[in-house]
Amino acid sequence: MVLDWSVIIHYFPFLLKGALLTLQISLFSLLFGLIIGLVAALCVLSKNRLLRWPARFYVWLIRSTPLLVQLFIIYFGLPQFGLDLSPFWSGVLALALNTGAYNAETIRAGILSVPSGQSEAARSLGMGASLCMRRIILPQALRLIIPPLGNNFVILIKDTSLVSTITLVELTLTAQRLIGSTYKPFEMYLMAALLYAVLTTGAALLLRQVERRMTWGAV
Amino acid sequence: MSLQSALQDFSGPMVSVRNLRKRFGRLEVLKGLDLDVARSEVLVVIGPSGSGKSTLLRCINHLEQPTSGEVIVAGERVNRGDLSGRALQRHLNAVRTEMGMVFQHFNLFPHMTVLGNIIEAPIQVQKRRREEVIPEARELLNKVGLVEKQDAYPGQLSGGQQQRVAIARALAMQPSVMLFDEVTSALDPELVGEVLRVMEDLAREGMTMMVVTHEMGFAERVGDRVIFMDDGLIVEEAEPAEIFARPKEERTQRFLADVLK
Repeated sequence: MVLDWSVIIHYFPFLLKGALLTLQISLFSLLFGLIIGLVAALCVLSKNRLLRWPARFYVWLIRSTPLLVQLFIIYFGLPQFGLDLSPFWSGVLALALNTGAYNAETIRAGILSVPSGQSEAARSLGMGASLCMRRIILPQALRLIIPPLGNNFVILIKDTSLVSTITLVELTLTAQRLIGSTYKPFEMYLMAALLYAVLTTGAALLLRQVERRMTWGAV
Repeated sequence: MSLQSALQDFSGPMVSVRNLRKRFGRLEVLKGLDLDVARSEVLVVIGPSGSGKSTLLRCINHLEQPTSGEVIVAGERVNRGDLSGRALQRHLNAVRTEMGMVFQHFNLFPHMTVLGNIIEAPIQVQKRRREEVIPEARELLNKVGLVEKQDAYPGQLSGGQQQRVAIARALAMQPSVMLFDEVTSALDPELVGEVLRVMEDLAREGMTMMVVTHEMGFAERVGDRVIFMDDGLIVEEAEPAEIFARPKEERTQRFLADVLK
């Protein structure tokens, strides 16, 4: 088997451009997914049922349905109700809602694994619940959360390939289209795969740096 | 603050407990306790594990909600049934600053330095200025003999050092009462002494203290009064010399014989 290097070299810039859009979608989804995840986690852990139940429902719904169907509901379904989002923002919304539910579970688990003695100490010093969460629990949970959160990020980056189905010419759809004119599916998909690997590995390495900075003393 | 001014001219007991009961499901851990701690008094609570000593302390600062009865600290009712939700939280946060609590497992905040641990609550809860709090924190560290460790993280300290920092952290809130919950039980034997010495100094300075402990030597030397608890009740109460030399109750005799042999 011989790779057609001339095709690879010639079309690489096009794929790079697709990868750039993939990166953009990933970054927006990641940011919103983090915010959604944090809010949902705090709601799931709340004593207030009006916060807890909707949050639980959201996490359950997202985790028990396929991302592709969620994406189609947002892109094809919502316009029926007058909510006509562009492919880009439909994709970001679907991905953010999806990763947000998984982030919520990750963050919730992180918060719960901070020893109860920490909040007892904080309360005994007169701290209220929100101050205790913000100053004592979350900073400690964050360190536990970062590795599994990094997993969610990597999955998110790979899942962006699904938005190729709603006409977004990101990395996967770019490869598909180039195959139409080059008839070189192996070379094109191989390059797409490599570019995904670069993005996910880059994200993982970045997070490892963050994690390393978060060790306190010799702990 | 009203609590502070109330404290100024307050002459009654610093801690007052009336008919305190605590139930966990079917298990009644405290079966109706009454006690008073006078200003500057050191009250030592001893008893077998499971007798309710720790629960008693935790009910006093409302880390556990008493099932019934009254807890009054510095003239202020702690467990107020007439409050709920945010109002209750605010009230609890305010009265808790009157009580410093030191835990068996230190519970220092691992993501903050020693100094950070101490100044956290004065700045965040009491809204005091950083420049004002830091010198006080250093003074407290000096008092517990750890001034050179102010920039270390808890994970870099020995258990005894961590517990002394925890004491300094509680003192930084300028509480009227200190509650010690088996604070030497998790320490290696050779580190117990340094923590007890700090507590002894505090007692000498006139701090009101409730000390749950298995250190009978400390109880005898530093305590003004000793309470022996068993099975959720106060079995016997006396001055240390009295209770250790001539325990009246049979249960106390048995416990002391076991512990002191």
